[in-house]
Amino acid sequence: MAGGGACCGRGGGGSEDSIIWAKSPSQPSTSFAFGLCLVLTSNKIKKRHPKSRSLLAARLGSELKETMEQEEGEARMHKVEFDPSEIEYVSYGGEHHLPLIMNLVDQELSEPYSIFTYRYFVYLWPHLSFLAFHKGKCVGTVVCKMGEHRSTFRGYIAMLVVIKPYRGRGIATELVTRSIKVMMESGCEEVTLEAEVTNKGALALYGRLGFIRAKRLFRYYLNGVDAFRLKLLFPCPEIHPSLSMMADKVESHGHHDHIAPEECPEHHHIS
Amino acid sequence: MAERDAEEATMSHQAPERSSIPSGDNTVWADISPLLDAACKELGDGEMIHGENFNLFAAMSALEIMDPKMDSGIVSKYCSLDEAIEDGAAPVPLSHDKTIDVQSIIDIMDHLLACEATWHSGHSLAQTVFSCIYLLRLDRTSSHAILHSYCRVIRATCKAVVSVVSDARTHEEEDLFSMTYGLPLDGDGDEKCLSFLNAVEETICRQLRACKAPSSKKRVLEDIEPLQHNLDLEEGFCKALLCRLRFRKHFFHTLACMRRPQGRGFEMARKHIASCILELESILKSAEFLRFGVCGTCKDGIEGKTTASGHTPIGFDASLNSRSAAPTPPRAIKILSWKRAVEYFVKLLHDLDVICSYSLDPSLEGVLRFVVQFQKSKPDLVARAHLQVLLVQDGKLYGRYPIFAVITKASALPEFTKNHDIQKSECFMQLGQLVINMLKILCTNAAWQRRKLGKILQDWRVIYVQLELALRNEVGEVSSNMDDEKMSVKILRHVLNWVEEQTYWIASRFLMLGFELDLYSPSEYCMVYWYLYVVLIKLAEKTHFRMAVSNEPIKRKGKKKKDSLKEVAKESRVHPAILFLQCHMCLAEGLTMMLAALRNDLMVLQSQNPFNTEQERFLQHFELLQKACIPDHISYPSFKESTSYARLSVSIL
Repeated sequence: MAGGGACCGRGGGGSEDSIIWAKSPSQPSTSFAFGLCLVLTSNKIKKRHPKSRSLLAARLGSELKETMEQEEGEARMHKVEFDPSEIEYVSYGGEHHLPLIMNLVDQELSEPYSIFTYRYFVYLWPHLSFLAFHKGKCVGTVVCKMGEHRSTFRGYIAMLVVIKPYRGRGIATELVTRSIKVMMESGCEEVTLEAEVTNKGALALYGRLGFIRAKRLFRYYLNGVDAFRLKLLFPCPEIHPSLSMMADKVESHGHHDHIAPEECPEHHHIS
Repeated sequence: MAERDAEEATMSHQAPERSSIPSGDNTVWADISPLLDAACKELGDGEMIHGENFNLFAAMSALEIMDPKMDSGIVSKYCSLDEAIEDGAAPVPLSHDKTIDVQSIIDIMDHLLACEATWHSGHSLAQTVFSCIYLLRLDRTSSHAILHSYCRVIRATCKAVVSVVSDARTHEEEDLFSMTYGLPLDGDGDEKCLSFLNAVEETICRQLRACKAPSSKKRVLEDIEPLQHNLDLEEGFCKALLCRLRFRKHFFHTLACMRRPQGRGFEMARKHIASCILELESILKSAEFLRFGVCGTCKDGIEGKTTASGHTPIGFDASLNSRSAAPTPPRAIKILSWKRAVEYFVKLLHDLDVICSYSLDPSLEGVLRFVVQFQKSKPDLVARAHLQVLLVQDGKLYGRYPIFAVITKASALPEFTKNHDIQKSECFMQLGQLVINMLKILCTNAAWQRRKLGKILQDWRVIYVQLELALRNEVGEVSSNMDDEKMSVKILRHVLNWVEEQTYWIASRFLMLGFELDLYSPSEYCMVYWYLYVVLIKLAEKTHFRMAVSNEPIKRKGKKKKDSLKEVAKESRVHPAILFLQCHMCLAEGLTMMLAALRNDLMVLQSQNPFNTEQERFLQHFELLQKACIPDHISYPSFKESTSYARLSVSIL
C-alpha cells in the first residue's frame, strides 16, 4: 500500500518553525514557515515491527530520560528560584501553544519530532495537553491521547518535558496529574506509557502516582535499551457505556468540556 | 520536433541533479514549485491538504523525503555499490605494499568480528556484517586468497546462524536478526569454504616456520614467499593471522556440529569450542603487537575501536545497504568495540558449551531445571536458539522422545502407557502442543518469556478442564475391554494431576521472573511474596501427590527392611523435591509476614497515591493468574486478611 497523498502543512507562528521545516540543506530558508516536502506514508514504519513501531516510543522514551534525570548537581547549577504558586498551568489553547510545545521538546532532544506528531496529539486531544508557565515563559508541557485499545478505553502519555532549571520541584508531577485527572473524568479505565528502564526519575514519578511496571520490553528502543510499560488502573473499572460515548464525542468534536459521570445520570441506561 | 527538444532541454535543465529517472517518451519533468508555493501561501496556520485516507495518525508515521533523519537515501556518500567500488572504497589488493596489505586485512577481520557481535546483539545484518563491500561483491576478492577465504567463511557462518535462529522461530523482539533481504548470503561452494581456509592456513604456517627457522634451514625453504616484506614483523603478522583464521574455522565447525540432530555432534562441538576460546585468547594477545609492534608508537584510546590495531578498517560503508536495512529511519549503528566483541564471543562460546555438556535428560523435570538454570546466565539470542532447536525437533524432545511419552513419564505413569491410544485424542494432541510451546517459550529472553508464560496459563487451565471432562466420560462409559478402560482412567488421573502441577510451576516462574525483570516496586513485594506462597503451597501439594502415586519405589539405602514400622518411617521421609519446595514456601511466607509486619507497625513500604489503591495494583499484577483461577479462591481481600495482623512483636513468632 503505497503512500496516501501529498500534503503541505504550514506551521504556526514565527521563524523558529522554519528550522523545523526546512531541514534539508537544499531547501531555501523562507520567512514564513514553509517546507516543501512530499510526504508519503511508509506502511513499513507503521507495521507491527517492534523496532519501527517503537520509533515513536524510542523518541518519546529517550525524551523522557532527558527531562527526568535527577542529576542534582547539574540542576542546582542552573536552578531558578521560584515559589510553586508562581507556576501557571494552562490547558492547550490552540495553535499559539504549538510552537511553545515544539520548542520545549526540541530543546531537550537531539532529534525533534516532525510537526505532524505534535499535531496528531494536540488537535485530537487538546484537553489532555497542558503547559506550565513561569512569568510568561513556558517551562514545561505534557502531551497525551486517549482512545479504545482492545476493548479498553485508555489514556496514553506521549511527551513530558520540563526544562532543566525548573526540575525537581513537582512541575512534571503536576502536569501529569492534571492530564490523568482529565482522562479519569473522561472515562478512561487505565493510563499507560513506556519508559526506559534506566529512567529513574520517570519511574519514581509515575510510581508515586500509582503506576505499576506491567511489562518489560526487551531492547525496545533503537539504542538497545529495555523499556517498562507503565500502567495505572483506575478503581471501579466497570465504566458505564455512556461515558465511552461521551469520550467519543470529546474526541471527534474536540471539545474542551469535561463531562463528569455525576453530571449525566440520565445516560446510565443508554446501551 | 525542434520545439520539443528545446522544451526537453529546458525541462531537464531544471530537473534534479542526480536524476536516476530520465524523461521518457511519454513523460516529462515539470517544475511545480511555483504551484506549491502559491498553495502554501493560501493555507492558514494548521491547515493541511490531504487525501481522503490520510489522517493525522498516518501523518505521524510519514517520512519526510530529503530529510536526512528520515530519508535513508539522502544519507549515503555513494549512490550505489558500483559507485563505491569505482571510487576505490574497497581495493583489491588492499595495498600494493604487502605489509600494509596484511595490516589492513587484519583490521578488516577484527572489524568484521565486531560487526558480527553487533548483529548478534540486535542490529540488522545489512548495517553490520554486510556493510563490508568485500562481502557484498565476494567475487572481486578471488585474487586475494586470505581475504577471499575469510569472506567466504564469514558468509557461510552468517548463513548458518541465520538458519538456526530462523528455525527456532521465536519471533521475539529480536526479529530484526533474520532479515536478509537483498543480501548475498548464499554463495556457491560456500560449503567448501573451510578447504579454502585450510589452504590459506597451511601457507601461513609454512611462512611462520620459514621466518622462525635458523638461517641455514631457510635456504631449503626459500621457495616460500614470505607473508610480507618486513622480516622483523613477519612472525607477529603470521601469528595474528593464524589465530584469526583458526578461530573462524573452529567456530564454523562448532555451529556445524551443534546442528547435528539429537545432540550427536556435541562432544565434537565442545572440542571446537575449546579451540575457539584458545584462539580468542591469542587474538587478544596479538593486540599488543598490532598496536605497538608495527608502528612503534602507541595509538591512543583503543577503547572504542573496532580493531586490535586501533586503525579504521577500509572497505566498509554502512549506508550502501540502506534499502536492505531495517524498516526504520536511518540511524547510525554503533558497532561494538573490538574488545567487547571478543567478550561477546567468549560468553557465547561458554553458553554453547553449557548446552553441549547437557546430558539430554529424558525427564521433563530435568529439562525444566536445566533451562531455568541456563537462563540465569542471561544467554543471548544465538545461544538460546541453539537450545531451543535441541529441545524441540520434529515435535519430539531432542527429536528423540515423543511428547506423549514425555508426558506419561512426567505424570509418573508406568512406561508401557506411552503407547496407549489415548494419545491420539484431541485433548492429548493439544496438551502435546502446549508442552512443546512451553519449552519454546522457556528458551526466549526473560521479558518476552514472562509475558508468554502469563498468557499460556489460560490455555493450561482450559486443557485441564477438558481432561477433567474426558475423565468423567471415561469413568461413565462401559467399555468392553475392562483393562483398557482402567488404563485410560489411570492415565487421565495422573495426567490431570501433572497438568495442575505444571500449571502452578508456570505460575511460580511467572512470579519469580518479575523479580529478575525488576517489575515490582518495594511496596509491592509483600503481595508478590504472598501470592508466590499460595502458589507454592498448591505446587507442593500436586508434586507430593505425584510422588505418592508414583510406581517407582523410593530408593532405599542399606539392607532390606523386614520391619514394617521402619518401612513406614522410610516412606514418610519427604522427597527432596518436596523439601526444596517447602523451603521456598517458608521463605516466601516469612518474607510476606516480615514485610507485612514492617508495614503494619512501622508504616514503611506503603504507597499512598492519588489515583488508585493497593487493590488496583494487586489486580494488575495478578490479572492473568486470577483469570485462570490460579489458585482458586485467592483474592485481594484474602491477601489483606492474611497480612493485616502481622506484627513485629516476638510473641507472635
